[in-house]
Amino acid sequence: MISCQSFRERLAPGSNEAAVMEHLRKCDACLDFAVSVDADHFFRALDGSELTPPGGVDAFTSDVMAQVRLRQAEGSMGRRRLPNPWRLAVAAMILVGISGAAIVYRQSEQTAPVAQIQPAAHRAELVTKPIVESYDSRTATIVELRGEGASDAQVVMIFDDSLPADL
Amino acid sequence: MIPTKETVELDDRQLVETIRRGDNDAFEQLVRRKTTKVYSLCYRIIGNAEDAKDISQLVFIKLWENLDKYDPHFAFDTWLYRMVTNVAIDFLRNKQSRENAVNSNLRLVKTSSDAEQGVVVQRKEIENVFNAVATVLSPKQKTIFVMREMDDLPSSEIAKILGCRESTVRNHLFNARKLMQQQLRKRYPEYSRLWKEGQ
Repeated sequence: MISCQSFRERLAPGSNEAAVMEHLRKCDACLDFAVSVDADHFFRALDGSELTPPGGVDAFTSDVMAQVRLRQAEGSMGRRRLPNPWRLAVAAMILVGISGAAIVYRQSEQTAPVAQIQPAAHRAELVTKPIVESYDSRTATIVELRGEGASDAQVVMIFDDSLPADL
Repeated sequence: MIPTKETVELDDRQLVETIRRGDNDAFEQLVRRKTTKVYSLCYRIIGNAEDAKDISQLVFIKLWENLDKYDPHFAFDTWLYRMVTNVAIDFLRNKQSRENAVNSNLRLVKTSSDAEQGVVVQRKEIENVFNAVATVLSPKQKTIFVMREMDDLPSSEIAKILGCRESTVRNHLFNARKLMQQQLRKRYPEYSRLWKEGQ
């Protein structure tokens, strides 16, 4: 560091000489003189030397590296998934596959021979049966449903196991 | 001749190349090398040790994430300083908008009789005064003022760091000085007398 005498000789308004600045920032005895020469030296007198972060450089560096490793781990987890173009390609192939299968299924449905409805071997013939107006049986259950009005038809149901099936 | 630590130590550009190849140890070496430089600038711009530490760490994380974008044709420190100033300015902008109103009346103005008495400049007091009066500066003005007056960087280098013209840097400096003198007059009349005497 230059001497106080040298500093006072070399100090000029707006001076930015490294040796002069170093003296300004370290010598309390010359501070008032420097500010009287140029008031802007007031703030220039703030110590310009390099500062150490709280906790020291080692702790600071390990904090930074821990964050970097964490981001790297996150990044590698992200990379396990397929990259974007590949993901798109796979998605497109699946879509094409599904669409293709759907089209093939539809076409096969249209071209497949429709099962013909075979005529029943024994066609049921409509036969007029005699109207039973009166029925008498000891084993039958006869249910008679009356209509609400006089014009309504009266329904009579006969349940009888002894009756022939084709009646 | 046995190579000493100095002879085998890589310069910044070589270190960046090694990091780009995926060497974490090289990045750790770079962090160690630049910590005090980055932290000091952050501290002077932000004015608070804990915030400056957090911002410095954020700078290094951003540095690691963006190392691919570094062009080795330019000085590494210029690129690093640009990152520091960008992050610190963003932080200050957010912080200023929250705290401006709170900080504006924290210090009582000394009486005129105090101000007329002779003043002995105390080095420790300068930092407090600076932190108080610099609150009126915009984040960019403060950053430029710190780089010019405390880090002694030439205007041309500051212009490169901030990606602006040298004349813009000089304008910001001029305005910063003016605003700080006004604040000194208002809040520290005992110190503002220095400007009247000195100029």
